Amino acid sequence: MKDVLKKVIFGRKEKHWWMNILVPLISILLSFILGAILIKATGRDPVVAYKLLFGNSGLFPGPYWKGHFAEMLISSAMFIATGLGFAVAAKGGLFNIGAEGHFIVGGITAAYIGYAEPFASLPKIIHLPFIFICAMLMGGLWAAIAGYLKAKKGIHEVISTIMLNWIALYLIEGWLVIGPMKAAVETGVSGTPYISLSAKLPKIFPGTRLNISIIIIIVVLCLVWYLFYKTTLGYEIRAMGHTLIFGMEAPKASGVNIERRTIQTMFISGAIAALGGVFMVLGVLSQYPPIFSGGYGFDGIAVALIGQNEPIGVFLAGILIGALRTGATSVQLAHVPKTFPSIIEGFAVVFIALQALVRYWLIKLTQLKKSSQVKTEGGAR
Amino acid sequence: MNNMSLLNDSIAQTLDYAAPILFAALGGLISENAGVVNIALEGMMRFAAFFGVWGAFVSGSPWIGLLWGIGIGILLGILHAYITVNWAGNQIVSGVAINVMAMGIVTYLLELIFKTTGYSPPAPYFGAAANKIHLIFLKNIPILGGFADLTIFVWFSLILVVILHFVLYYTVIGLRIRAVGENPRAAETLGVNVSKIKWFSVIFGSIFAAFGGMALSLGTLSSFTNSMAMGKGFIGLAAMIFGKWTPFGALGAAIIFAFAQVLQLLLQSTVSGFAKIIPLGFYLSLPYLLTLGALIGFVGRAIAPAADGIPYKKES
Repeated sequence: MKDVLKKVIFGRKEKHWWMNILVPLISILLSFILGAILIKATGRDPVVAYKLLFGNSGLFPGPYWKGHFAEMLISSAMFIATGLGFAVAAKGGLFNIGAEGHFIVGGITAAYIGYAEPFASLPKIIHLPFIFICAMLMGGLWAAIAGYLKAKKGIHEVISTIMLNWIALYLIEGWLVIGPMKAAVETGVSGTPYISLSAKLPKIFPGTRLNISIIIIIVVLCLVWYLFYKTTLGYEIRAMGHTLIFGMEAPKASGVNIERRTIQTMFISGAIAALGGVFMVLGVLSQYPPIFSGGYGFDGIAVALIGQNEPIGVFLAGILIGALRTGATSVQLAHVPKTFPSIIEGFAVVFIALQALVRYWLIKLTQLKKSSQVKTEGGAR
Repeated sequence: MNNMSLLNDSIAQTLDYAAPILFAALGGLISENAGVVNIALEGMMRFAAFFGVWGAFVSGSPWIGLLWGIGIGILLGILHAYITVNWAGNQIVSGVAINVMAMGIVTYLLELIFKTTGYSPPAPYFGAAANKIHLIFLKNIPILGGFADLTIFVWFSLILVVILHFVLYYTVIGLRIRAVGENPRAAETLGVNVSKIKWFSVIFGSIFAAFGGMALSLGTLSSFTNSMAMGKGFIGLAAMIFGKWTPFGALGAAIIFAFAQVLQLLLQSTVSGFAKIIPLGFYLSLPYLLTLGALIGFVGRAIAPAADGIPYKKES
């Protein structure tokens, strides 16, 4: 059973494989404890705050459970999209912090094809898939620029993706949305025009806003798992990631085309992150507003890091972050500002960054246990 | 006469815009010269911008605010150094963590302390006429007149460029910092205490970033707004790269980037015709386009210190 689980969840054999589960769990637990201390230190009641936070998060049944549950899945789908985008690149040893840029590039593409005329009158069955293909293509290409610069010019992807994020942001919000793609003045809409009915994501849970985004992202999640562990491309991507510190010499020596894989990995990463923007525009906003309340890109990094870059981990972390965000508004009833969940998120990432320390203590703990067991056994004899 | 005062005002405004960018760039620069990447500049600026205003608000003196800001800068530097140097943690992850925390914690404190969302009440600040550095004799000279009424932040950022240049290239500690950034193992064999040098650089880098944040909240404005640092930390990162990881390069880059913004404001308000057709977004994205250009090699190749971003583990 343990072996099967190991294979399904991680598909690799490591000595302390359980650490990969324990480290994020402990990180989250410690962050909640720290968060409680913070609330207590500022004179509020942590128990009340956490009760409100989780009670309205959609994770547990309650009076307005249905609505919260739907909201949670809507935002989780977006966090999972950006998180998964980051995770794909991270598996290949690429630190793609451009999810924010891919997200808005996907969003603006979806908005444009959603309202622009030759497409807007297409039947839904063609229109929707067409939007998804175009947005993923644009997001992927935007990311592939960074991949190309890395492969051909050796420019570190962290730098190029940061630059590309801001370029995307300013070109979209400082030009497209206030210029060529602006809604006609007489409609009274700020931002782009609203998308046509055929572009809206179908709703699946009567009485709520829940749409098919969560189903789409679960399918993508499975595809990514398949890509990682069942295909040659995925194997080569993982090989690149594993040998990163040695300059990827081993895969290069065995004939992997590193340059091409780098660009491909970035393309896939960007395309998946762009999905988040599509969900946002087609499922929530129905247009691209003048100022996009972003942050999904950077939160996606946190999601992927907490999920240890594994598809299943990203899913669970995405659900958790989505739930915290959903419960956040009601924390205000306990006089705790609604940005509280991002504090928890930040703490969790600090502990993930400190995982060498957490692992060190865990190993020390198990060794202590083992040696004490040996001692008591020896004593019994 | 009118043209001259416009010129002088534009210079003063450019320097005012450049100061936070320059501080962030210098903070990133000293830390990256020692091999520690710091993408948390933005978060550190946000923390310091808030703590500076908080300190000034509580005490009634901007100088106390300055001390608070430096204090939070040191604390964040300790966190970043502890993660990245002591435990060889991923430098980017640590940076992301600080940025995410900055979003959450600062907004939390803003609502908690000032009972407001979005902005803090005004506090005593260095941009007030009484606290500026007045050099009246320069006032009517073209170009130099731009230096007549500047905040201490602007002057300090300019002086810091010279100090940092001197420290990095003409002192033993500077040589050690650069050695650690290029080849920590070789430095270690020559008896340099690598982790000490890295700690030193990261903490000073964070203090400079903190100055950048305070230049926004205590220098230009007199209060903290929730959108701070408005990407200034990331422009600082870009300026550092565009300036090829050198202090004077960073100064040049910061001034070019700041001038792009001032130019855009000027063109939007005065000129009509062709210049006005160019949309706002192009001016705003110019710093990043230039930086990518510099990296690709259009504007002279920018090369990072060799061991930049690689965690160093001492051989045991």
